[in-house]
Amino acid sequence: MGSASPFPLNKEELLKVYRTMRSIREFEERVHLEFAKGGIPGFVHLYAGEEANAAGIMYHLTSDDRIASTHRGHGHCIAKGVDIHGMMAEIYGKGTGVCAGKGGSMHIADLDTGMMGANGILGAGAPLVCGAALAAKFKGDKGVAISFVGDGASNQGTMLESLNLATVWNLPAIFVVENNGYAESTSAEWAVSCDSYVDRAAGFGMPGVSVDGFDFFAVYEAAGEAVKRARNGGGPSLMECRTGRFFGHFEGDAQTYRADNEVDQLRTENDCIKIISKKVTDAGVIEQGELDAIDKEVLALIDDAVEKAVAAPPPAPAELHTDVYVSY
Amino acid sequence: MKASIGIVANPVSARDIRRLITNASSLQVADRANIVMRLLASMAAVGVKNVVMMPDNGGVRGHVQRGLTREKNAGETVFPDLEFLEMPVYSSVEDTLNAVRKMVDLGVSAIVVLGGDGTHRAVASKCMKIPIAGLSTGTNNAFPDYREPTITGLATGLYVTSQLSHEDACASNKMLNVSINNGEQKEIALVDVAITTDRYVGARALWRTDTFRELYVTYGEPHGTGMSSIAGLIDPVSRRDPHGLLVEIGSEDECARTLTAPIAPGLMSCVGIKNIEKIMPGKSYTPRTKAGSVALDGEREIEFSEADHIEITLQSDAFYTIDVEHAMATAARKQLLVSN
Repeated sequence: MGSASPFPLNKEELLKVYRTMRSIREFEERVHLEFAKGGIPGFVHLYAGEEANAAGIMYHLTSDDRIASTHRGHGHCIAKGVDIHGMMAEIYGKGTGVCAGKGGSMHIADLDTGMMGANGILGAGAPLVCGAALAAKFKGDKGVAISFVGDGASNQGTMLESLNLATVWNLPAIFVVENNGYAESTSAEWAVSCDSYVDRAAGFGMPGVSVDGFDFFAVYEAAGEAVKRARNGGGPSLMECRTGRFFGHFEGDAQTYRADNEVDQLRTENDCIKIISKKVTDAGVIEQGELDAIDKEVLALIDDAVEKAVAAPPPAPAELHTDVYVSY
Repeated sequence: MKASIGIVANPVSARDIRRLITNASSLQVADRANIVMRLLASMAAVGVKNVVMMPDNGGVRGHVQRGLTREKNAGETVFPDLEFLEMPVYSSVEDTLNAVRKMVDLGVSAIVVLGGDGTHRAVASKCMKIPIAGLSTGTNNAFPDYREPTITGLATGLYVTSQLSHEDACASNKMLNVSINNGEQKEIALVDVAITTDRYVGARALWRTDTFRELYVTYGEPHGTGMSSIAGLIDPVSRRDPHGLLVEIGSEDECARTLTAPIAPGLMSCVGIKNIEKIMPGKSYTPRTKAGSVALDGEREIEFSEADHIEITLQSDAFYTIDVEHAMATAARKQLLVSN
């Protein structure tokens, strides 16, 4: 398509975006099912519904750029390029996992792809990203570092200190607040004192922007400008993505704090994958059959990932103390 | 007692991508509430007793309620009674539309609006003949005034208490009606309709010029910002002129004339000017661009394809605004604030 595409991406690029979003969705829907069967140890927090954010932001990054994720990190990992087989095995706690099965869902890390780690400590990614951004600034390699937090963790002191530090040092850092409306079960409307994340950014002297997190193109455009700004020495910024999760805070969450039809409505009216699919097919840039073909390939990939993860051995007892400490 | 003024304060205007691109300002929620407090103070000073306001979950309501409680605790009595409308809050433009419908039903005499062009557009679409007093708290504010709210509150208060007549205080405005597929969807714009070749609304704000094709304006002022500044700097049209303007835009290469204009706050862009044409009230114009998106007052709102039919029509005397400058000049001439 090239410049003929009425979108900011050509056909090949749009198919790549769709594949990323579909992979996240299929991965999460499958983990939801497999967790219910009892085969997955620990907790899982699913990202389904928020795919446009991960895909729209990560599209602008290379493996040299660093991200720090959250407890809800599967989508960030996939969009950043972490191997899906390795992720699934990690979630199953198997030796073939990306962290040799010792991290699980909340600690998936893969430095080769720039994924510094999902993180069970809320708000802990923000200072890590300041470090990564400072390193990029010193090296002068035009790298950027992005921290993800939810609306809940945005209130953590670590996050606020990081906003200050990033501004003072003019770091190539971007702070993404994925506002899915709930800090676990507490509505953001009850828990955020200044009422606006953009106001919060302004308070620290950095630009803030709020975007429709259900619309890939809205996230893509805003993230593109934030990344460009950071790469060119323009300093940090904050992005709020207004989004919604299809599942509970964790698997097993009864979600009594949500309205009866809230999730159904989200899936019907604000499914980011349906929204982008309709746009690109209506414009005649991509045929529905091409999207269906990707769906099949992704489904087969996830089937295979689960099958291999289930069959893989757990870490050997002798490896209990390996990969735990780092020598300097 | 019946409320005479309604207030719509958008808690989320001035939050879009232009903060990243052009250093556009972002007015904090607490300051939006302070604007409301200053409005209320001046309204009370000229005799306004009751005001209703749109509820929101973005913080304005909370800050205003806290502010009024503090003033009351401090023994101040300079504020009218303020009630928040009973209505569900969706944190979307629906809130503005619902609030204005309720204000119309309640019979308010004026509506004060805090927001950008988009918020004012939403209010104008439902306010019927009730005049709007606009205050700019958005990004791209070709329509509302940049003005101290105290003065807007005074002018509006003098009007709703009948100390100023409709003729003394109000001005008539044009708007653009946009009809999609013979009225299947209807939208309005207060200042400009821009047609781009983008098939997505994305981050909504317009800031790239390479996909601009056509611009329809109700008015374009040489001192304005936003898309309408293109018209304002090449062939100005005033708010009171009977006509509007169509500007066809092309790349710099294909046009004999180019223009540098402030298409967003802090953003000067160069566009090629292909053609300029006056647009007259009541006449329908169909964009030459067959597929893309329609931006209303600077924000992409509607995606359309070759199968869709779009018509744009300029409407005269579409709605009223409080002309603060004229109203206050009349108030001074009539010595309305002078006591003997």
